Amino acid sequence: MGVACLIEGQLPLAVCAGVGLVAAIRVVLERSTLLKLPYLNVLGFAIAGSIALLIPHPLAILAACAYFVGSTLESNAIASTFAGGRDRE
Amino acid sequence: MLIEIARIITAAAISWALFVAVDLVFRLPERGGVSGARAIAAAVAEKGGSLHGGSMMGNIVCSPDASAGTLLAACGVAIAGIPGGLAAAALVFIGNRICHDPGYAGTCGAVLATGVITAASYAGLAPEDFIAGMVLAILSIQGLSHIHASRLLEKLWGWRA
Repeated sequence: MGVACLIEGQLPLAVCAGVGLVAAIRVVLERSTLLKLPYLNVLGFAIAGSIALLIPHPLAILAACAYFVGSTLESNAIASTFAGGRDRE
Repeated sequence: MLIEIARIITAAAISWALFVAVDLVFRLPERGGVSGARAIAAAVAEKGGSLHGGSMMGNIVCSPDASAGTLLAACGVAIAGIPGGLAAAALVFIGNRICHDPGYAGTCGAVLATGVITAASYAGLAPEDFIAGMVLAILSIQGLSHIHASRLLEKLWGWRA
């Protein structure tokens, strides 16, 4: 009951936090580095959404976009490093 | 509480359909745009998934696509209305260029999502519902089962191609 009261009116934030937690656990449990990246992508979505929901300020749009693009670029760099040499054109 | 849950599930369904449709129109499953996306596609295919579905998942990971555009447009509209959504679209465009993505799926998705989310707000769906909905939609593609998600995307790509 206490939890229900806590998330009343904050359901979108609770969904973002819950999905982020699930994604974080799956990142840890997945063994293959390349297959960790889609889970990490979900975590990025959840955090970017939480930033916008927690900070109702116009600059929060910039913060969420910067965080998300940054995390995508990192995933891109990790995946490209793993692909290096094997499938370079 | 139940109404809130129903709103989020409706928003998730709308954003899922929107981002998958835009990604298919921009031919994301055809091939990985960068070498990293191709490596992720190969890893998914190796585990029993499909290559085209894996390519789309790799492209989603490696560059902000329509799914990212939908999420960030929802964030923008939630905070600052239509100008916020368009600002998010501009930032997604910059993000695409930073990630060496030659396509316009992310920018186009963000602009379309700004329109859809604004229209849905007249039907009682808040932009906040779309933020949670988009997070659930991406969980269904990237976070539950890579094998089944890639096969589903391959099937949808078969209809498109």
